[in-house]
Amino acid sequence: MRRKILKSLNKTFNSEPQFSEQSNANDIELKKQDISRHYAQNIETFKSIFSIPKNIDVKVREFTIRSLNLRAFIIYIGTMVDTDQVQRSIVKPLIENEQPSRKIQDIVSFPVGKTIINIGEITENITRGITALFVDGDHQCYVFETTKIEGRGIEKSDNEVIVKGAKEAFNEKLADNIALIRKKIKNENLIVEAHVITKRSRNDVLIVYEKDLVNDELLQKIKNRLASIDTDSILDLSILEQYLEERPRSLFPTLLNTERPDRAASFLEEGHIVLLMSNSPNCIVLPATFWALFHSPEDHYLRTPYGNFIRFLRFLALFISLFASSFYIAITNYHVGMIPPDLLMAMAGTRERVPFPSIIEILMMEIAFELIREAGLRVPSPIGPTIGIVGALILGQAAVQANIISPIVIIVIALSGLSSFIISDTSMNFAIRISRFLIIFAAGFLGIYGVAALSIVGLFYLVSLKSFGTPYFAPMTPHFFSGKDLLIRHVPMKASFRPGYLKTKDMVKQRKD
Amino acid sequence: MQKTKIISRILLLFVIVFSLTGCWDREELEDRSYVIGLGLDHSKHKGKIKVTMLLANPEVGSMQGGGGSTEKPREIISFDANDLIVAKVTANAIISRLISYDLLKIIVVSEEFARDPKFWNIISDVSYDKEIRMNAYLAVSKEKASEYFLKNNPKMETRPHKYFQYMIDHGIENGLIPDSTLFRLFRTTERGTDLFLAMNTTAVMEKHPKFKGEDEYYAGQVNASGELDDTQFIGSAVFWNGVMIGKLTGQETSIINTLDDTTNISDFLVNIPNPFPGIRKSFAVRVLKREKNKVKMNLKGPRPKIFITLPLNFDIMSNPSMVDFSKKKNREILKKEIARHLKKENEEVLKKAQKELKGAPYPLSFYARKYFGTIQEFEKFNWAKSYLKADIYVKADIEIVDYGKKAKKVGK
Amino acid sequence: MNQQPGKLGIREYVSMVILMVGLKATEDTPAALYNMVQNAAWMIPILSAGIFFIPLFLLIKTMSLYQEKNLFFVIQKLFGKYIGFFVCLLIFIISSFGLSFDSRTYTNIIRVYYFKTTPVLLLYALLMTVCAYGAKKGIKHIGSVAYLLIFSIILSLFVVFGLSTQDSNIQAVFPFWGTGRLEILKSSAQRLSLFVEFFMLTMLVPFFTSSKDFRKGTWIAYIYVSIQISAATLFFICLLDHSLGEMGYPFHTAIRYISLGSYIPNIEIVFFILWVMASFIRFTVFLYINALMFGETFHIKDFEFLIPSLATIYLLIGSIPETPLQVGIELKPFIATTAGLLFTAVSIIVWLTALLKGEFKHAKNKNNI
Repeated sequence: MRRKILKSLNKTFNSEPQFSEQSNANDIELKKQDISRHYAQNIETFKSIFSIPKNIDVKVREFTIRSLNLRAFIIYIGTMVDTDQVQRSIVKPLIENEQPSRKIQDIVSFPVGKTIINIGEITENITRGITALFVDGDHQCYVFETTKIEGRGIEKSDNEVIVKGAKEAFNEKLADNIALIRKKIKNENLIVEAHVITKRSRNDVLIVYEKDLVNDELLQKIKNRLASIDTDSILDLSILEQYLEERPRSLFPTLLNTERPDRAASFLEEGHIVLLMSNSPNCIVLPATFWALFHSPEDHYLRTPYGNFIRFLRFLALFISLFASSFYIAITNYHVGMIPPDLLMAMAGTRERVPFPSIIEILMMEIAFELIREAGLRVPSPIGPTIGIVGALILGQAAVQANIISPIVIIVIALSGLSSFIISDTSMNFAIRISRFLIIFAAGFLGIYGVAALSIVGLFYLVSLKSFGTPYFAPMTPHFFSGKDLLIRHVPMKASFRPGYLKTKDMVKQRKD
Repeated sequence: MQKTKIISRILLLFVIVFSLTGCWDREELEDRSYVIGLGLDHSKHKGKIKVTMLLANPEVGSMQGGGGSTEKPREIISFDANDLIVAKVTANAIISRLISYDLLKIIVVSEEFARDPKFWNIISDVSYDKEIRMNAYLAVSKEKASEYFLKNNPKMETRPHKYFQYMIDHGIENGLIPDSTLFRLFRTTERGTDLFLAMNTTAVMEKHPKFKGEDEYYAGQVNASGELDDTQFIGSAVFWNGVMIGKLTGQETSIINTLDDTTNISDFLVNIPNPFPGIRKSFAVRVLKREKNKVKMNLKGPRPKIFITLPLNFDIMSNPSMVDFSKKKNREILKKEIARHLKKENEEVLKKAQKELKGAPYPLSFYARKYFGTIQEFEKFNWAKSYLKADIYVKADIEIVDYGKKAKKVGK
Repeated sequence: MNQQPGKLGIREYVSMVILMVGLKATEDTPAALYNMVQNAAWMIPILSAGIFFIPLFLLIKTMSLYQEKNLFFVIQKLFGKYIGFFVCLLIFIISSFGLSFDSRTYTNIIRVYYFKTTPVLLLYALLMTVCAYGAKKGIKHIGSVAYLLIFSIILSLFVVFGLSTQDSNIQAVFPFWGTGRLEILKSSAQRLSLFVEFFMLTMLVPFFTSSKDFRKGTWIAYIYVSIQISAATLFFICLLDHSLGEMGYPFHTAIRYISLGSYIPNIEIVFFILWVMASFIRFTVFLYINALMFGETFHIKDFEFLIPSLATIYLLIGSIPETPLQVGIELKPFIATTAGLLFTAVSIIVWLTALLKGEFKHAKNKNNI
């Protein structure tokens, strides 16, 4: 009952505004039709669809096919096709070929993709960089895969830097990205499925998985989720990520976004599903657990002891960046006895001249650090971050000399700030940086008790998070069979199971004989 | 959206409220004044005690580089109060910041007050105050505690917490003073079977102290001269049931520390009478306790018998008679002499404890417990009384690890 | 949003139980035990575990007749609708009071040792809020959190024990029999309340994939917990000796005393964090079980919605006693003794009823067919 009232209240307050929209029913009707046999009508139709000549990069070229003696025209978007190739393999043979042949396929040297009759479909193809050939009197249209989109080459990974192991990263070209994965998994079971998810800009998503591993239920779930998206345009994978997440308002990410093909490939081998999108230099791995977000590919490339050492460092960094500032506040404000006498004296001595309570001091520095960090990112130069850190140090030094901040706070902030860089996943990084502030407030409110209370609430929240049905801390708790690759990892020979929460078709990576 | 808005508003409210209200226990650390030493004396007023507080100035010695403070490193105040806890509030009439016992390192009681039965009553309050930690030390000073802190004026360690930390830690390591934490005080006193030793200290040197052998000094008797602070930590004050009943010298204290398995005594140096002919009458050895003592008891019969074996390692540090220790005979002589000396010293101290102090100066009763099945039987045995009649035999199980660098005579 | 209750794993269950029952070693239980039989106190947990084993075994045996059914279902089935309802209500009320006074004790510990001037109500309310939030997430998630924390908590406990040996004296356990053998046995029988939580945990049977998991988990936890409480008491006896009887909460006295050398003299906060987290989990489980009981008694299906209101009621009940002393000395022992006796009696009566009604035979016949 109450819920109903709330709902109706909500509706009245948050009703969708009325817009005066223009109907495009004519266009839609047009696109449903098939092309006609008449040359003139076709050319008229497509000129109107593509607003020629207003639209400067849509090219129409009319000519006569010599061998057939028929009028024909091709239409393509000049910026998206390989013009040279169109000239050489399509136009030239058609014009110059003299041998009588009835079939277009035999004349052009370019492999004919297919023939289409629907206007809407042809339009879609042309927008994707395909050349369409219309022949007078023919009821179908020939399309040629001439797409050549200019873009970045394959470059080094910028955001997930590692020392040992493959350096290449995804780029904005879908074909390249798939090739990058394919060259790592040379198996016919690797399936790349395309799905168009939006209506207007017709963005398509590639679902990549290994047919003989992936759990069909999970695959179906993801397909359903993709199908249920109802929007005009999703330009980037990162936006799709937000559509896909179960709790888009949650602080913690439940999908793994990576720009490293080697990482994607290793997840595919475990039975995960990878989503790719054109124009996005990254991929989404699902389902993702806390561990997937916490690990770095380098852990596996390094020898076991070294890999575990950096894991341990990262774990420590996680704790330091989460709790260093709040712990400082808690013990200086509530549990003074904890500090060794010498340090306590030193801290009290320097704090004496600082005009602010320590929680303000910490907050000021934390915010300053975040500002410098953000500014460092936006400085248009690779030395930006360096300048940022230097700026922080100078700022700190000056603040100490001006008696605004006590030196120990600088140490605490520098430590927690630096540690936060060690968490490589961008989303996780943000989650930790933001929750740090919450914990600081909890510490200011009730010292260690507040911190403990907030942490346990946080833990309760985290374990209840799910990524496509997979609990956040699986396979640790709830327990599943796995390669035991959680806080520490074994030697690769021992990690013989795929993660149990995926319910893959083949659980065992290497059978023991 | 509505929900998010409400949640963020509530969050904002919480954040503002929580960060701005001075929540109950919150107190900035520089708002407090840290008491390092606490002195307890008789007061002229009836039913009150005189409390002395030694407060550390955090500003001194903590600043790196320019602008070092010219303030004094400490502040001392004495006043009359009803007890230790309320004294904190009273002190705030004089001290600008909140008084905190968080760093309390030492409680000094004047000998005169320690001998008063009221003392136990006062010191018990300590266990109610949650700021005072049980690892603070109890010390007994010959003069009034208020004078003690005033006179104590260390030349090098001007910061009081550092001074007391070093002084006590090394004193305990060397065995000259007992490990007299409040924890041990309460545990021993509540057990009610043994004596408790508190460290003895003074800041007043005796005018003409007699010279004595080795460490047979009470506090204040070590005759040192030069440019120094007069404070001495040596020997111990003996408490029975929370009242001071006697004193032990430095040497006696170190012997008891060796007997006591519960203290962390590290290696220390002693003089042993020289069994070989020569001008010098003693040589130096380093003593190292190898393992725990073995204690056997025979508690049947009117006179209980107690056998204590001390497993000790020795390093010979000097060789005044230039004896050749490669000869087995010489080594045997040395071993025998050390064993004899130790037996004598140890038994003397324990006898003294039985006769003069009427109790075991360390938790010896623990060893007796296993000979009884139930508490009732143990209580019937009445350790405190029976111990006084006991015959104690001490045997040193000696291993000489090192005979020094020079094994043979050099020169002529 | 579609969070089904899910199934509880054995690891999660064991860690939950260890936190729930094993935490008794860190409150006033060791001191209370010491006051009963002096330095033989460490024997009581083991002995009463031995005594309580019989009713618990019988109860679990009876429960295994009804696969995937919880305790209250069994009681109502065996005792009939009306008596069953009454018994369930009684158990619910007793455990509710137990929860209230227990949580109040923990709040007192927090206040006395760490937050001297903060109002009790605030500390208490925070405790209950956190527990209500956790309990609402469901038993599976409580178990997961317990499992995430269990290792660090156990580790910290053993670090405390290890560090406390610096100043403890093993000879404090002598005279071996304390105040006498008979006395120990008598006190052990009185102290059955140490393990009453196990009785309540049979409410969780339906959450397991199989009741075999439940039995296995229960016995593992049972053995571990009795050893842990016993070991804790032993360590406290060795460290504090006679003072143990006078200290309310020896664990907190101990963590305040132990140190890592003279440069890091005080480390109690580290242990306090883990202890507080453990207590949050303890009361979360407690609260969840109580809500479950309430739901079962009054046949409310979505009992999880009741948790916040139940938590509020417990908070109010717990706030009634004026002083911590009143809770520690009068109310808690009373509730504990009542609960111990009642729950033991119920377990045995349940088994007897099942036996008389011939349920065991039925089950056997069913199996044979």
